Amino acid sequence: MSFTTSFQNTRSGRALLSAASRLSMGATVLGAAALFVAPVHASAQVAKTAIKAGKVITLNGEPIENGIIIIEGGRVTAVGSQEDVQIPWDAEVVDQPGMTAFPGFVESHVSRGIDRENETLDVAPFLNVRDSIDPVNFYFEDALRNGIVVMNVQQGNDTVVAGQGMVVKPYGMTVESMMVKPRAGIKMSAAPKRGKSRATQAQALRGAFEDLKRYLDEMVQRKKDGDDYDRREALYQGRELEGEAAKGKALQSEAWTIEGFERIPRGEVDEKQEPLLHVIEGKMPVFMWCGSAADVHTALRVADTNGFTKHMTLVLDNSCWKAAPKIKAAGVSVILEDNLAHRERDPITGEEIETFVPKVFHDAGVPFALSSSTDSNRSLWFQAAQCVAAGIPREAALAAATSVPASILGLSDRVGALKSGADGHVVLFSGDPLSVTSVVEHVILDGVHVYDRSKDVRVQQLTDGTRPPGTVAEEPEEYEGDGEDDSDNQ
Amino acid sequence: MRTSYQRPQAAIAPTFRGAASALAATAALAMAALHLGGNAQAGQEAGSDAEPVRSQALFLTAKRLIVSPGNVLENASVLVEDGKITAVGTDLKAPEGAQAIQGEVICAAFMDPWSTAGFDTGSVNSRDLNAATMATDALDPYGEKAVLEELAASGVLLTRSQVGLASDISGFGAVLRTPSAEVVLEDASMSAAIGAESPGFSPDQFGGRGGPQGFSFGPQSIDPIDRIGQIDKLVSELAAGQKYAEDMAEYEKELAEWKAAIADKEKELEDDFKKAKKAREKAVKDAEEDGEEVKEKKYKEDRRPREPRYDAEKAAFARVVQGEVPMVVHAERALEIRDLLRSTEPFKRLRLVIAGGTSALACKKELRERGVTVIVAPSPANPGGPVGELDPGLSLAAELDAAGVNVLIGTGNASALASRDLPLLAALAVGHGLDRDTALRAITSGPAATFDVADQVGTVKRGHAADLLVLSGDPLSSSSRVLAAISGGAVVPQATK
Repeated sequence: MSFTTSFQNTRSGRALLSAASRLSMGATVLGAAALFVAPVHASAQVAKTAIKAGKVITLNGEPIENGIIIIEGGRVTAVGSQEDVQIPWDAEVVDQPGMTAFPGFVESHVSRGIDRENETLDVAPFLNVRDSIDPVNFYFEDALRNGIVVMNVQQGNDTVVAGQGMVVKPYGMTVESMMVKPRAGIKMSAAPKRGKSRATQAQALRGAFEDLKRYLDEMVQRKKDGDDYDRREALYQGRELEGEAAKGKALQSEAWTIEGFERIPRGEVDEKQEPLLHVIEGKMPVFMWCGSAADVHTALRVADTNGFTKHMTLVLDNSCWKAAPKIKAAGVSVILEDNLAHRERDPITGEEIETFVPKVFHDAGVPFALSSSTDSNRSLWFQAAQCVAAGIPREAALAAATSVPASILGLSDRVGALKSGADGHVVLFSGDPLSVTSVVEHVILDGVHVYDRSKDVRVQQLTDGTRPPGTVAEEPEEYEGDGEDDSDNQ
Repeated sequence: MRTSYQRPQAAIAPTFRGAASALAATAALAMAALHLGGNAQAGQEAGSDAEPVRSQALFLTAKRLIVSPGNVLENASVLVEDGKITAVGTDLKAPEGAQAIQGEVICAAFMDPWSTAGFDTGSVNSRDLNAATMATDALDPYGEKAVLEELAASGVLLTRSQVGLASDISGFGAVLRTPSAEVVLEDASMSAAIGAESPGFSPDQFGGRGGPQGFSFGPQSIDPIDRIGQIDKLVSELAAGQKYAEDMAEYEKELAEWKAAIADKEKELEDDFKKAKKAREKAVKDAEEDGEEVKEKKYKEDRRPREPRYDAEKAAFARVVQGEVPMVVHAERALEIRDLLRSTEPFKRLRLVIAGGTSALACKKELRERGVTVIVAPSPANPGGPVGELDPGLSLAAELDAAGVNVLIGTGNASALASRDLPLLAALAVGHGLDRDTALRAITSGPAATFDVADQVGTVKRGHAADLLVLSGDPLSSSSRVLAAISGGAVVPQATK
């Protein structure tokens, strides 16, 4: 016994050593990287932050003039007027009397910030965008400039069943440090993937679930056969059958029944099949892309058959507004693309008909979220402003970029409003968040001051042409030939 | 937000009590225009709604009621309630509150047995389909409304639609109630094509069916060797389906036997358990005395038979070879039709339907003997037909019928709009020698019977779904108008101009 222990000690000691050496190497690399993406204030260790702003838009009640937000340990602990809220003596104070504090926008679905998306495999729910998120992707930097504080990164639309997405914040050196919610949902598509028609896309989508059902059925059958065999063997050998077989949980699906599934310990389910099992049991949200109104019908049919309608959000092309009554009846939420106006020509009269898509969903009473998935020039604040211009009430337009996406992502208590207990994200605008003349001046994420426009080198270059040191390209040296005589080639 | 072109409202007559006698349809229409009130108003409101309204009862009256082709009632009425035909007869009285519609002739709605209506064009033109594809997955409820309105206006309210006209094998086609894109039967047919070409690719002189959109299917542009290969492929798929069906039946038989044997064995083991237990206890004791491990007796039994590996395409063809689903094969030339007939001979329960069949006369005897149905697509646009050889032109339907072959008339075009011409094509066939009743049968009860929906549509019978036409004259006369089109019990407002 004592021998074993000492042996283990030696081993763990060695492991410790090698870990330490790796750590020191890692630290050097991290240090180098930190030069480029370091927080504006080296305040990562400050546990308490107090933000004083001329106006605080909480999206949780009326705006507060001269308000204070206290963030402790990365969480908002108090929001109120300067008379009501006491600033702790040891808090770092950000005092901006001319600015407007805002909870920050929530991006409900985006396929940017990832290195390369899987578009080869039709059905790949076992993949995870965790493995392709690129923390230094320009998209995340730009998200800060536009006041977006969390985003749901999901694979692209060219798929049948894609991998799992992830909710992250746009700041961090590693994917782990950016992570807000690791298993945010699975991306699927009801619209034909390249090389497929609508008929074969639907066939493949249904097929993915039918395959899972067959797999589980076979698994249960095998288990049952094995148990029965064991029983007969024991009878034959004159033994009493000993021990209780390991037990799993019965299937929790609303649409499926697989008799005897409780015989299977969950650990035995193939990890490639497991994510879809979570989908049919309602434990994994689904983001379903629809490229046309007819695809909405396909999406709802597949979701209904497999019992995940309640956990599905439709990601819509702008032509899908025609399916608004159908979507309303199904009670699902939608995410709209950033081109908010849908145009089409009447096939008979040739008249061009323009439809402002968010207004259709607003009028139909369908919860809708905006998204800026393709273009930073049409970020969430701009789209929300467009909605207001098109006659949607300001609260509803703001909700479409804050509380609605937060609720779609299951993060209502964490993001989308400044309230006690929420994540410590605050965006300081120079004026009203929906005004074209306002800019994002500061962003505080989890109480850490991560963005300051006055120190944003890209903005500086844009406004006064100064380039950060070391980034000016040198004149290329003149080419002097490769030393070979041209006559050799003749 | 206006999305589709709305036609002027239907002229639907308000209730005419006791007007069952000969009131000319035109007069009824004129009166409808004068007395726009009461029920007509209600009809108008219903018309502006996208969803069909089925709650209101309909009372249809006409001088001639074609129950089925050749079976005509004079001065008869049809009562429609809750989407169904609840009464047919000459002495019916309109119930209180029923909407009355009158005309010269009432007959079952026309059904195009070879159409693409209801599906999105991408899927119709797709070449990436297989036997397990369901055409209903390509339903497009937001498709061009104008096309469906045209179809309704010509009385074509039912179609047997398929996708993948350009695909060798394109999976299950469906019977649709076209105005509402409602599925009557989702697995009405399996479709295949010999020598199909993607639309728009082959030039028009090769002559497809010259639909209004200019799409064409030129069987010529595929090599004869390839066409033989396509037949071989189709036959091998059928054989694979046959094998799959046999394997499945074999497995089920073996499994039942195995289960019975195991049940017997289990009973036997249970009965002998006490003995076995005693023997084991003794063995354990002996082993302990000898200081050895207990040696368990080796248990043996037959293994459970293995289920054939699931294959969606083979399973689909298994249904086809067993005759559960008819198989529609688009083939034009005599060679191919003959080859197809010969090579499908072993599949005794196969329900073969030839679509196109320009040169089918060359094999009329085999077609009759095998009970093969031919969907003829008479094409006035291309005299001489798409093949040229042995082409009887517009008299094909008549000659096949004379030879005792079951004939249907269809359009078979990538453009759904082509189905609009169905009654005219039937009329053309009459002009070229086809019996009038047979022609009407070829676009009503015939397709319904071939595609297994005869118990629901195709004839005017009590208990059937109400898919009916009220016409101003004979169904196959080009001067007849649709006065009212009733689809699934609801008046299609766009059908009447």
